[in-house]
Amino acid sequence: MKTQKFKRPLTLASLIGLLTATSLTAQVQDLTGDEEFYTSPVDESSDVYDPFESVNRFTFKFNDFVFSNTVQPLVDVYTAIAPDPVEEGASNFFHNLRYPVRLASNLLQCRFKGAWVETGRFAINSTVGIVGILTPADDYEGFAPIKSEDVGQVFGAWGIGEGPYLVLPFLGPSNLRDLAGFFGDRAVNPLKEPFGVIDDWKWERQLALSGTGYIARSPQIIERYKQLKGSSIDPYSSLRNGYVQYRRGAVAE
Amino acid sequence: MESFSYKTFLVLGLLFWSSASAQEAEKDKLQGMIDATLDVIYSETHASLSANEKQVKVREKLKSSYDLDVMIRYAIGKNWRRMNKREQLEVLELVKQLVLKAYVIGLEGKDRPLVTFGELTEIGKARIEIGSTMVLDAKTYYILYRLRQMDSGWQIYDIVAENVSMSSNYRGQIDDHFRKGSATDLIARLKDLLAKDEINEDTKI
Repeated sequence: MKTQKFKRPLTLASLIGLLTATSLTAQVQDLTGDEEFYTSPVDESSDVYDPFESVNRFTFKFNDFVFSNTVQPLVDVYTAIAPDPVEEGASNFFHNLRYPVRLASNLLQCRFKGAWVETGRFAINSTVGIVGILTPADDYEGFAPIKSEDVGQVFGAWGIGEGPYLVLPFLGPSNLRDLAGFFGDRAVNPLKEPFGVIDDWKWERQLALSGTGYIARSPQIIERYKQLKGSSIDPYSSLRNGYVQYRRGAVAE
Repeated sequence: MESFSYKTFLVLGLLFWSSASAQEAEKDKLQGMIDATLDVIYSETHASLSANEKQVKVREKLKSSYDLDVMIRYAIGKNWRRMNKREQLEVLELVKQLVLKAYVIGLEGKDRPLVTFGELTEIGKARIEIGSTMVLDAKTYYILYRLRQMDSGWQIYDIVAENVSMSSNYRGQIDDHFRKGSATDLIARLKDLLAKDEINEDTKI
């Protein structure tokens, strides 16, 4: 009887030991034995044509310097002075102003539902939402926020290739197609040249509006950028990969 | 013959059903794990913990459900062979710490996100994808969890947030690193990143 009592825990311990050993073996097997799986390509294609890598890396460092030494202090002051609702309101206001770009981009891709939603949101937010500072459209059925479209995405949807990856001074990651899209965005934006609807709008005022819009968007961008930098082995490579995957996903959607 | 076919279909049907329900169970398991990690970051009981302590707790929660090594190993890809055994283990551990640090610090100071799980899709042999949405700071993010059946059970091998695959991102960085650098440099870089208290503390580029 005694022996039996003794035997059971021993058996149990052996069983637990065996199970642990099996589990550990399985884990080690998972990491070493399935080479084909571990070396298989990741589903999201991240091959990037980057023939100007050395120039891009230099521009990336330049942008990082500008971000850290000019934009960052301005944004710090802005976030310290402006309460959160003001920051959010300013960001909403500038997003609302870009409605023509989103409308044209939806229409150029024959996304009529998207164009309808954007128009409804613009109408509601510009009126009930006090020139777009608030976003009451979020609560209207059928007018929930949708993903923003731009002219670069339109070119992608039309089958135009990305071209080489570029890092633009002050603007950050892009590619040849998105650079053309950037100028396309300006062309359909009635607040920007060359097709500005406001005749007597001097460049100083345009610059002030663009600058304020840039700062209003910056707190979130800076936070994300700093997180990316702090968790990346190679921040340039990480940003390039993230940008390319994000844009390819946006075009494919 | 008829009876044989009937039985075969019955068995196949049962096998399919049990496989489908096992996959569905994975969704519950994943949801439970995400909830548990968010509890660590946001619950009152853990409010007094430092960021480092929270990372340890989050790691425990993750470990009880999944083997994070699988995801990191997948991100390392073919570069695994460029390292010796000691370096492989060290890189595995350091990247794991970095990912956990980014996760905890990235969410801290924000309101608890609302995570809703969506459809489960079979994406290949022994591979599934579980979709989810995360509402954080009034913005909705789409996040996919990719799992593969390994010898040790279903394991997460990739997380795709807003079309950006984490494994692809880290793999691209490690590929780029090994074009010019060595495993020793990689370990030094990872240690340097981990030495900073905050993830957004000024980092060399």
